[in-house]
Amino acid sequence: MTGARLGKYSLWQFRDFAIERGLAILIIGALWGFVILEPAHRGMGPQWRGDQTSPFWVIALQLAATIVSLSVLIALNGITSTDRKSGYYRFIFSKPVSPVLYYAQLFFVHMAGVLLSMAILAAGMRVLFPVFSIKWFVVYTAIIYIAMGGIGFFLSVATRYDWLTLAAVWLGSRILRAVYGIGDDWRSKAVQLLPPVHRLDQVANSLIERGTAPAGDVVWLLGYGLVFFVVGLVILRKGSLAD
Amino acid sequence: MSAARHTDNDGPAALVIEFKNVGKIYKSLLGNSVKAVEEFSLVVGDGEILGIAGPNGAGKTTLIAMLLGYLKPTTGSVEIDGMSARQYVERNGIGYLSELVAIPPKWRAETALTRYAILSGLSDADLPARVRYVIDLLGLEEHRDKKVKALSKGILQRLGLAQALLRDEKLLVLDEPTHGLDPLWTQRFRDIVDSLRRPDRTILIASHNLDELQRLADRVAIIDRGRLQRVVSTSYEHAPPALTRFRIAVAAGRDQVRTVFPDAVEAGRDEFDVTVHSIQQLNAGLYELIANGVLVASVMPERSALEQQFREAVGETQ
Repeated sequence: MTGARLGKYSLWQFRDFAIERGLAILIIGALWGFVILEPAHRGMGPQWRGDQTSPFWVIALQLAATIVSLSVLIALNGITSTDRKSGYYRFIFSKPVSPVLYYAQLFFVHMAGVLLSMAILAAGMRVLFPVFSIKWFVVYTAIIYIAMGGIGFFLSVATRYDWLTLAAVWLGSRILRAVYGIGDDWRSKAVQLLPPVHRLDQVANSLIERGTAPAGDVVWLLGYGLVFFVVGLVILRKGSLAD
Repeated sequence: MSAARHTDNDGPAALVIEFKNVGKIYKSLLGNSVKAVEEFSLVVGDGEILGIAGPNGAGKTTLIAMLLGYLKPTTGSVEIDGMSARQYVERNGIGYLSELVAIPPKWRAETALTRYAILSGLSDADLPARVRYVIDLLGLEEHRDKKVKALSKGILQRLGLAQALLRDEKLLVLDEPTHGLDPLWTQRFRDIVDSLRRPDRTILIASHNLDELQRLADRVAIIDRGRLQRVVSTSYEHAPPALTRFRIAVAAGRDQVRTVFPDAVEAGRDEFDVTVHSIQQLNAGLYELIANGVLVASVMPERSALEQQFREAVGETQ
């Protein structure tokens, strides 16, 4: 199998993403944004301020960050486990195709799909908040996709219930870090090993608002996700495709 | 019997597939383990059609999963052309039809073939013609635009076979290939497999259908409870002496049958069951019948040689 042929197949992978996931992400994101922000926009009428001084700016940021997390969950759901559970892997990998390359490509194709979806939604957000930066929102999405998606990819390779496990890991980390994050006992040290979800809000706020983010936080988020992504690829290489 | 078939004495022309003392144990999270395959060793040569037969749960599908590199053996190794199975498949590809044809239900038949053709590495120049070829070969023309979920079992099986034939593979692995096919397409499938026979191509067929394996395969590996019980040549030249009971149908001269075969038992209108000690005795008897003016319509073994061997191998001699 030449890289070019697998590369050509990425168009089909992107098509699948657009139909099965991208559309859902756009509809959910648009409806969610509309339901939360549009009534306020309509209610305030001419008093509406579309900048950082607006009382709804923080809500918009929270909403945007939540939609990004949800989109990553949708994009990563079953990214490898569906093929395994449904048996689709049998015909795909009887062809001269490396599962490692195939799924690595699929991971990045989905990433491209999520970034495009977020760019479209960000353009919608600019109707209400002209200062909302599409570019930095897409950059934030890319960071979250790698951080959260890397873990999701690993879980999809290692388990059958990746969506559920990723949501549990992500939310569980938030809760445990909130409860034990500050302190000096063993629990506080142990929670430092969990995904760095506590850095998300800070990165989201500073990146979307000012176009900058603490480099340490960004590196920590990306590094954490990439490590899991690579571990997922290693399991694909060394493990069995069939259950 | 095709002239290309190996006999037991021929041996494989060149090594292609080697199962070396392969074992596979499935372990559950609770620590329970099941031995699916044990100490399985077999060499399959170039140009050979090998059948794999065994009762349900014998380990056929596990064996095939290891041959494609989908499962790793717990012990031993599976090599194809000197490479690990997975390495071979990733480099060369295998024409594979799985027992359960699993294709995403929303894909359309032709689209599915196009996708698999891209993954097979077919060039843009060759791809349309090859897809068209397998569509014609498997009679999928009227189904090409249908979604996979709308296809009947038999059509889906044909689509599965079509994707296996997209590229001119050196190795074909067909797991229960005629499952769900009607008699017409079962025969057509046999013709297709016969046409695929080539000195540099190896074909493995796992099937419950012993008659099918008898017709198609050069040798049949009989496995039971994860172990290779025996490898049987399907050549009648090597038919075992156990082949003793035949049903003879006659179109004329039925009164003559008992004069030649005194123990013949009437099995229906113009049909007799005869017991002989060898194929030579059967032929001599038939010669005598014909010489006496009997018109022999058909001669069928009660059990094929393969079926007899299968029953012996899996512990059912009756």
